[in-house]
Amino acid sequence: MASESSAEQASGSSYDLIPKLLPNLDAHLIFPLLEFAAGLYEEEGDDAKVQEALKAKYELLKGSNMTDYVAGLYCDLHGLDNPPAEFTKQRDQVLAKMAQYDSETARITDLLADDEVISNLRSDKVANLEFLKKEHGVTIEMVNALFDFGNFQYSCGNYGAAAETLYRFRVLSTDNDKVAAANWGKFACELLTTNWDTAIEELTKIKEQIDTKLFNNPLAQLKHRTWLIHWALFPLFNHEAARDTILETFFSPAYINTIQTNCPYILRYIVAAVITSRGKPTRNTGTQQKQLKDVVRIVRQEAYEYSDPITEFVKALYIDFDFEEAQKQLTLADEVLRNDFFLSGSADAFVEAARHLISESYCKIHHRIVIQDLSARLGLTEEEGEKWIVNLIKDTRVDAKIDYKEGTVVMNHPPSSVYQQVIERTKGGFFRTQVLTAAVTK
Amino acid sequence: MSRFFRSGESSSEDSSSEEEELYSEEEKDEEQQEDSDEDQSEEDDEEEEDAESSEEEKRGASKFLKDVDSSDSEDSDEEERGQVKSAKDKRYGELSQTIKAIENGSKIGDWNTVATEFDKLNRQVSKIKDSGSTPKIYIECISDLEAKVLEASEKQKVTPKKMNAQAARGFNTLKQRLKKNNKDYQDLITSYREDKLGFMESDEEEEPLPVKPRKIRFDTFEPAQPAADDDEGFETVDGKGRVVQFTPESIFKHLRAIMESRGKKNTDPFGQIKVMEKLNSVAVTPYQRIRVILTMVSARFDLSAGVSSAMPLEHWKAAEQELSTLLTVLEESKEYIVIENAEDWEDDDKPPTLGPNDKYIKIPGSIVSYVERLDDELTRSLQHIDPHTSEYIDRLQDEGSLYNIVFRGLLYYETLRKETSLEIPQDSLNRIVMRRLEHVYFKPAQVVNILEGNCWKRVPDSVDSLITPRESITEASDLISTLCNYLFNNSEGIIKARAMLCRNYFLALHDEYYLARDMMLMSHLQEQIAQFDVATQILYNRTLVQVGLCAFRKGLVYEAQNTLQEICGSGRQKELLAQGVQIQRYNQVTPEQERLERQRQLPFHMHINLELLECVYLTCSMLLEIPLLAQTGSSPDIKKRVISKTYRRMLEYHERQIFTGPPENTRDHVMQASKALAAGEWKKAIQFIHAIKIWDLMPQTDDIKAMLSKQIQEEGLRTYLFTYAPFYDTLAVETLGAMFELEPRKVSAVISKMISHEELAAALDQVTSTVIFRKGVELSRLQGLSLTLADKASSLIETNERTLEQRTQGSSNAFERQGGRGRGGGQRGGQRGGRGGARTGQRQAGGTTFTGGALGNAVRG
Repeated sequence: MASESSAEQASGSSYDLIPKLLPNLDAHLIFPLLEFAAGLYEEEGDDAKVQEALKAKYELLKGSNMTDYVAGLYCDLHGLDNPPAEFTKQRDQVLAKMAQYDSETARITDLLADDEVISNLRSDKVANLEFLKKEHGVTIEMVNALFDFGNFQYSCGNYGAAAETLYRFRVLSTDNDKVAAANWGKFACELLTTNWDTAIEELTKIKEQIDTKLFNNPLAQLKHRTWLIHWALFPLFNHEAARDTILETFFSPAYINTIQTNCPYILRYIVAAVITSRGKPTRNTGTQQKQLKDVVRIVRQEAYEYSDPITEFVKALYIDFDFEEAQKQLTLADEVLRNDFFLSGSADAFVEAARHLISESYCKIHHRIVIQDLSARLGLTEEEGEKWIVNLIKDTRVDAKIDYKEGTVVMNHPPSSVYQQVIERTKGGFFRTQVLTAAVTK
Repeated sequence: MSRFFRSGESSSEDSSSEEEELYSEEEKDEEQQEDSDEDQSEEDDEEEEDAESSEEEKRGASKFLKDVDSSDSEDSDEEERGQVKSAKDKRYGELSQTIKAIENGSKIGDWNTVATEFDKLNRQVSKIKDSGSTPKIYIECISDLEAKVLEASEKQKVTPKKMNAQAARGFNTLKQRLKKNNKDYQDLITSYREDKLGFMESDEEEEPLPVKPRKIRFDTFEPAQPAADDDEGFETVDGKGRVVQFTPESIFKHLRAIMESRGKKNTDPFGQIKVMEKLNSVAVTPYQRIRVILTMVSARFDLSAGVSSAMPLEHWKAAEQELSTLLTVLEESKEYIVIENAEDWEDDDKPPTLGPNDKYIKIPGSIVSYVERLDDELTRSLQHIDPHTSEYIDRLQDEGSLYNIVFRGLLYYETLRKETSLEIPQDSLNRIVMRRLEHVYFKPAQVVNILEGNCWKRVPDSVDSLITPRESITEASDLISTLCNYLFNNSEGIIKARAMLCRNYFLALHDEYYLARDMMLMSHLQEQIAQFDVATQILYNRTLVQVGLCAFRKGLVYEAQNTLQEICGSGRQKELLAQGVQIQRYNQVTPEQERLERQRQLPFHMHINLELLECVYLTCSMLLEIPLLAQTGSSPDIKKRVISKTYRRMLEYHERQIFTGPPENTRDHVMQASKALAAGEWKKAIQFIHAIKIWDLMPQTDDIKAMLSKQIQEEGLRTYLFTYAPFYDTLAVETLGAMFELEPRKVSAVISKMISHEELAAALDQVTSTVIFRKGVELSRLQGLSLTLADKASSLIETNERTLEQRTQGSSNAFERQGGRGRGGGQRGGQRGGRGGARTGQRQAGGTTFTGGALGNAVRG
């Protein structure tokens, strides 16, 4: 289930990542991206580009079996009312083929629907196949037909059914290559049917598969990981529960290396994900801090290879401590986010969280801050700024007061007492030693 | 080296095996004895040399006595034999005595005596053998003895009765020696066993013949000798006064003679080469020319005996010319090819012709070996020439023609590779591609372009290269990457690693820092470099240094310092880069090692300027160390972090000086700049640094100086803040900006960074735009010490826990919970940890882990 497509792409703003993403996605996964781009153009009222996007969509799906839809696109593209005859012909062919596959796999599908048969299946695939062969006359060819059928259904856009078929195939097949392909197929199906939970399961499965099956082929590993990273962007920004798992995967050494070598532009998504996930009550602050640190490190390392307003923002804020620059980048970033398929939904959250970060480090460094100035830094009016600061003081319990007359915030940084430090450091030492002694005497 | 170059042993063996054909049938036995004689002697080099030299002497003497029919040579032979006879009889007597003793001993089973006697016997026989053949009775004896030993050991197996210990030991020794010994006489023994009586009777007749075959042998290579004193206007005359004609027909005969005398003493290599030059001029057919040139080039290479001396200049040039001619001949007459795995053509009278099924006439030889040898010889001679003379420059100009040879050799191998039936090993092609790469990787792009342009000019337009097509390769960088990619795809092991390093070197030389660094890291060479040979390790070090210099040119001080640390911090730059032999203080190296090291030295034109390197390293160290020194100030763990030990040592030494004069060398400049920087006098520091003359060697000197000024300004600000913070309550950003001539925005960014990393206990006041320093952060000595103590205690606990965990193989999980708690304690310095984390991460990326054990090995070899 290779993901190749050379669909022409109308580039939007200069930070549009779609052209970079495309080579690593499957044709069906690209479709929503194009749709999104087309939607943007429509908003802008740029007819030429809309037309271009339409053409791109047509080119993209021409090879697939979604004849009805393609015919519709064709009509739109050429301003026809009725699709040409060849589409009807093609449609008939597809239907015929579908029927053929259906009959080929009917037997095995029935079998797998049979409770009695299911109850006889074990976890051992070889034994299962042996059993089915003996009892019900199932052959390898039939199993493989399942695979082809699944592929076909997927190509027709019938993702749910394809997922089901591929699942069945996977239960029975012992052909490693095909199972691997089926895994990818199933993953794509789950993504397209927005079944995020199952998609995550598939993702984990593929991850393991990459680690175990391809361990002696670093190049293939790199390629597969790159794909996986791209595909995982769908659940990352659409499914709240998946975010932690996926981020964790991205931050594991193997994947972070893949990103650094092969697709540094993914950094935008990682930065966005890390920053937006800030302040979510479910999250562990420790992990978050660590991830933020990691992100800063990687952004710094990769600055020579990739930069866009989002990474620039991180760089300005955490590496150069240039708040003005950070503010400038934040405004730019907002726009970029809104034009990004994956991030358009979280643009507001990003800006919000970014403001938090700015004010946090601003307060940490400054003793006295002019409210007006801070508001400008955060891209707010003075009044909003004041409100913001009050909320900030309330939420984070910073030791700060607003001096209304001067229009300033006075931060109070209590120096950490040296006695407190010593106490902190020696805390638990006694207990730990005790446990140690106990363990030794055991 | 391949078999096409001289190796003493094999050539003597060859000649003896060829001699064989010349002997008459009845001398067969005799000859075999001699053969076995030689075989035995080969076991011991020294012995062989003796034997050979004695043989040579004889040959030298008999040269003058040479004439089969002449009577006086007969006489001398007679005489010699007469002398030998009496001694021989005596020896025969001793021999038969010993044999008797052996027989007796073996009968009564006294194996110990037999073993001793056997040794004695061998000694005696070897004496006799020196003067003649192996005595038949000896063969009889050892053959019988073997049979008896066999019998006895058979008996041992069946009878329970054991021999006594001494006899058993003797028996075993004997068995082993006998086995070894008899191998040499196998033929004689078999012939003895086949026909015992006949063998013993033939004894006497054969003895008086040993000299005869030699005479025949001399005849064959006689013609080679006299040409040495050949002169214009004289007929060439051989030893017997006969005129030697160099005709096309006789070429192969001459060649064979020369080949046979190769590697032997008392041959005159110069004379032979002269002969071959003559032969070359008369050679007509391509086959003749190829053969002559092949032999001649090998002979020229033989001139530089030993590893330390280079071959004479005129011969190198001649060899280069001849190789060039050879390649031209081969290009012109395509049916002749020179490959390694061809059969030797034995028939001198008629040259090989194309058979009906053959496409090519194969001639044994190895172009790649010649090319490599030529290259090595040039390097060697460059090593020996003083680089500051015009001689060196002259010699260096030969590199152009050498590169041309390499290039044409490569083209030749490419054409050979096209013919799959020839099975040209990929290895040869890799070797020659590698040679080409090694001639370009360290050169600036313009130079490479000129070199390439000259090469292409000298080959006809129709010729094109597969690996580096004429059209697509226009830039030096393309050439390098194409060559390297070719090697990545087609080779492995050392060549692959070298290709990778060459490429990185080239990239770093041309300011592609990130590319070079990433490739360097991705290659994972730093992990395996210790397993490679010394030359590759040196190349690795060179590449590393070049990457470091590149980082410096980019203004990446931290990365540059880190990368250079390993090499420059060691104080053994010269050794590690093979740019000079370090003087060894305690005689740690043997002369042998030193000789090897001298051989490894790179020719001067490949050197990386060591002074520049030191200058860059020290400057980087200064920019990192001075703020650090100011920061750690007087805190108790002052000694904790040292970035560069070398730099610290120099700084301390400099500070100890009572009177410091104006700076003279690079080091002085950097040290005085450091001092000025530490005192906050950044302008003075910049002056000192800019006064260093060696910066002029860097491209874009002005940019580098500007970069350095900027760095010094910033670091100066940081140093100033660290040093003088305790004396201020507040400081205006404006003032600081004015002091360091920096924009206020930049100043506040620097301060913000310091505050954020908890390097500075301060806060910014936006209203008045000042820095407010916090009170009470200065710790008293007691407080500081107790903090250190607390740290040490907690690290002690951690070590203990880890040790226990290791001992118990992690089975006691009691610590999991504690671990979390311990980490909780450590969270105070979260932000600082962030900085630290970033640093260590970068450190890995920057490549402190580059070297490891490689360095030590590179030196010791």
